[in-house]
Amino acid sequence: MFMMNQFQNSRSRTPALFGSGFLLSLWLVLCAGVAAANAAGDPPAAVHEKEQQLIAILRSDAAPAEKAITCKRLAIYGSADAVPALAPLLADAHLASWARIALEAIPGPEAEAALRQAAGQVHGELLVGVLNSIAVKRDRQAIPVLSANLAAPDSEVACAAAVALGRVGGSSAAKALTRALPKSPAEVRSAIAQGCTLCAEQFLSAGEYGTARKLYDMVRSADLPQQRLLEATRGAILARRAAGVPLLLEQLRSPNKAFFNVGLSTARELPGPEATKALVAELGRCEASRQPRLLLALADRKDPAVWPALVEVVQHGTTKDVRVVAVEAVERSGNRDSLPVLLGAALDADPAIAKAALASLTRLPGNEVNAEMLARLQTGDPRERPVLLKLAGLRHIDAALPVAADAMNSAEPATRAAAIQAVSSMGGAPELRRLVQMLGSSGAGQRAEVESALLDISGRQGAAGAPELLPLMKSNDPAMRVLGIHALAAAGGPDGLAGVTGALNDPEESVQDEAARTLAAWPNTWPEDSAAAEQLLQMAHSTQKPSYQVLAVRGYLQFLQGDTHMSSDQKAEKISTVMPLLQRPEEKSLALTILAQAVSHQPPGKPWFESVSSFSQDSALAEDAWAAMLEGVSKAKDSLSQDERRKALQLVVEKSTSEATRKKAEAALGKLQ
Amino acid sequence: MSALLAAPQIVPAAVLGRDGAVAPSERIVMGGIGIGHRGTYDLGCFLAEPDVQFIAVCDIKEARRHAVRQMANNHYGNQDCATYRDLRELLARSDIDAVLIATGPNWHATAACLAANAGKDMYCEKPCTKNIAQSLELAATMRRTGRVFQAGTQRRSLPNFAFAIDLARYGKLGKLTTLYAHPGGLGTVMSGWEPPEPEPPKDKVDWNTYLGPAAWRPYNSKLLDGFNFEKGGGLTGGGCLEWGSHCVDLCQWANDADATAPVEYEPVGDQLHARYGNGVKLVLRNDGWLPLGSCPVRFEGETGWVETGDDADIVASSPALLVGRGAKISGYPANLHIRNFLDCVKTRAKTRANADAACEAHIACHASNIALFLNRKVQYDPVKNEFIGDDQANRLRAEALREPWRI
Repeated sequence: MFMMNQFQNSRSRTPALFGSGFLLSLWLVLCAGVAAANAAGDPPAAVHEKEQQLIAILRSDAAPAEKAITCKRLAIYGSADAVPALAPLLADAHLASWARIALEAIPGPEAEAALRQAAGQVHGELLVGVLNSIAVKRDRQAIPVLSANLAAPDSEVACAAAVALGRVGGSSAAKALTRALPKSPAEVRSAIAQGCTLCAEQFLSAGEYGTARKLYDMVRSADLPQQRLLEATRGAILARRAAGVPLLLEQLRSPNKAFFNVGLSTARELPGPEATKALVAELGRCEASRQPRLLLALADRKDPAVWPALVEVVQHGTTKDVRVVAVEAVERSGNRDSLPVLLGAALDADPAIAKAALASLTRLPGNEVNAEMLARLQTGDPRERPVLLKLAGLRHIDAALPVAADAMNSAEPATRAAAIQAVSSMGGAPELRRLVQMLGSSGAGQRAEVESALLDISGRQGAAGAPELLPLMKSNDPAMRVLGIHALAAAGGPDGLAGVTGALNDPEESVQDEAARTLAAWPNTWPEDSAAAEQLLQMAHSTQKPSYQVLAVRGYLQFLQGDTHMSSDQKAEKISTVMPLLQRPEEKSLALTILAQAVSHQPPGKPWFESVSSFSQDSALAEDAWAAMLEGVSKAKDSLSQDERRKALQLVVEKSTSEATRKKAEAALGKLQ
Repeated sequence: MSALLAAPQIVPAAVLGRDGAVAPSERIVMGGIGIGHRGTYDLGCFLAEPDVQFIAVCDIKEARRHAVRQMANNHYGNQDCATYRDLRELLARSDIDAVLIATGPNWHATAACLAANAGKDMYCEKPCTKNIAQSLELAATMRRTGRVFQAGTQRRSLPNFAFAIDLARYGKLGKLTTLYAHPGGLGTVMSGWEPPEPEPPKDKVDWNTYLGPAAWRPYNSKLLDGFNFEKGGGLTGGGCLEWGSHCVDLCQWANDADATAPVEYEPVGDQLHARYGNGVKLVLRNDGWLPLGSCPVRFEGETGWVETGDDADIVASSPALLVGRGAKISGYPANLHIRNFLDCVKTRAKTRANADAACEAHIACHASNIALFLNRKVQYDPVKNEFIGDDQANRLRAEALREPWRI
């Protein structure tokens, strides 16, 4: 089960082919593994029998590959019985890593004893591996073996023993490491320190703070690579708990960036009011360049006691940058009073502060925030209204829609603009009606905002909004009718299409033009809004204006192009109907491109080939047509007879002037014959 | 209500020393480990950041070492990029602050822990771990060493996913009921022991280092596809882990479950059904998606639903839910995620895809794979990090690393 390359289990397909006999045997073993794995509820006797079979493989002269997979299976099915068969493999350079997979997984003293015994028998990397496995098993009985190996001449072995002692943990392991640290060579000392830190971490978790602190402090005072000192410093602060504050502050004041960084991360970890109090005080003392980073660390503590300091910096910070960071810190703090503070900042004279605050207000989580915003909008400080209206839209506070709709008539421009923006985000059909009414009375400054809102809501409402827009088409103002065309197109649907089509007969030529352009680029849901295609086809055939005809044909072709449900033959037939209207090279080329693309979805039949062939009459398109035909033949195995395909290819060979196309056609012809 | 990323970045560039000319003290000096196809893309994003100085590459393949060195040198117009075959030599350089780890998944956790113990911050491609034990140890190592870790799950930094997740987290869909993730195949793909082939010279391809923590096997060029080799420990990896490290991770986030994992996993037909302690269901399925591109996720609540994918379009049960969805960024670029990592290197804040969150998301994927492998329901205790009453499942939580490697 475990070792087959690209193998998938019983839930997936099986490999089709096997490259060798040994792989096949492996496959059979793996299948048996699946069966056993699926039979988790098998009686112990069955599991025992499976284990005995696996043990027999290890004791046989089976190939190393088979023994390797067997080890892996014993990781699941093995018991103490398997250990004697696995243990000898610990001395095998190729199979030791496989054997350890099983021995690490098999519970019980037998596997641990085998590893301890091997530690006295193997050397070099194999010994390192054994020590690493002892570390995983956290075998306290191995402490003497590990301690002895701290002085091994092979530094890799000594390092592995040191880390293993750290993993095993406890006072005996700590004692061995403590003794070894000062007298160990430089290449081992770092690993011993790592072992000490691992030990200390276990003491810390167990609440043995004093023991942990001593270990950390010992490491901190040793001659070690910086990383060992950094992690010991972190531990020393945490082990001291409240008394660790001075050591924490020492790091935050360190000229060494690495220790300052430890201060920043540990400032987030060290719990308690003493730490918060000291860090807040430090915020006022530290140099300006460090203030923003300390602010963020303070905010991450999520301690309400940080709050006044954050507010102070938001309101009176010494630089713009630190104030912006404080805004984010307020947001991160999750404090219930964030809203008024951020609202105040959103009204700040400095645009950077206001922008940051608005972004934070947009992100503040929770329905209770929405409720408070609504309450303030209804009864709060009028200066906050524009910001709150903006937020109502950005946060989509539906309950605020009536307030926003009313505020669209506000005499105060900022409030009015924010209200229209909010309505634009939340409004529906009633608001569309209202906006249409407002257009008649809007001043030039406001009109752009209203129009934008109208288009936004139209697009969101879809076809359901179109009836509300139709009055625009009856306006005496041509600009209103053009806006109506855009809004109806955004809404789409039968009413939208009817409104735009009707505008083709508008008394104003500019409105007619806009209707034609809009129809040709019907911006809604091609091809679902397929009625537009028929309108375009009708316009293409009936219009007297050449420019409209071009627009209509192009729009119609684009419709065909976008329709993924239509077969290649259906597209060919529809293109044939507009062939007489394809006067310009651009449209002809587009039509041929559509035909060429169509075969990637649907195999082409005779109508498609006839249509493509007709394009070959145009010298500018002939080569593209032959290339398309070549591609079409390759896709037409099920839709054309062999004879028909051969004839098509012969045509390409005879007519194409492109050597590359001819050669491809000849090659295809050769294969066909 | 809008996606976190729809709004401009808050921490001003000046605060983090990346506006205009970057002072040397604010520069992040980087190296790369295992820079193949994906790594080259990531590296391009890193090189585009003004406060990054990339100076060294390590790869077991000579061709890749040279290609990446050339890429870096061309970018900076110098010849400074050093090359290494052994990652330990690169990690020993005291002038390197952070590393990009883009090896195959066989190496990710081991290299990440080595990097952390060497005092480097890291951006590590996914899947980050081979099993549950590695997931836990990765997180513990980052905490102990105080290093900044960002998993290469860049969708956490893309506006459409963040927006959909905000809808779920902040109650816009009502009480969450079901989360859907696209695992990209639920088969368990193995990396095996292939017939031996002549081993290339070490300078060209260092097979021993390539195997690294994976159990020994003879050289075979078919296994040199690092992207798939030993994914999920060569035992229970495959699609669920490859894509799940993204999609399941997003579901975890949507359920505010960055600190936990589902408690129950069960293969059901072609799907895997999991359940969180808070009752929310997680469904891993390959079909039934709207056409929204790769890596789709769908979140359902009692009053609404939302679905999005790599095309960056968002579809929801109501248009009203989509208000304020912000910028559309398709094609799942990593640059925002990489910027988040670099900022966190400077602030020491937790990254978006920090080791704790990545640990739990990977545990969810590994536990799913174990249920698939055993082909039965398993129950998991995310506090004790063990399967309940299931010795076989528990034995699948870990796998020994080949000597001399350890994490």
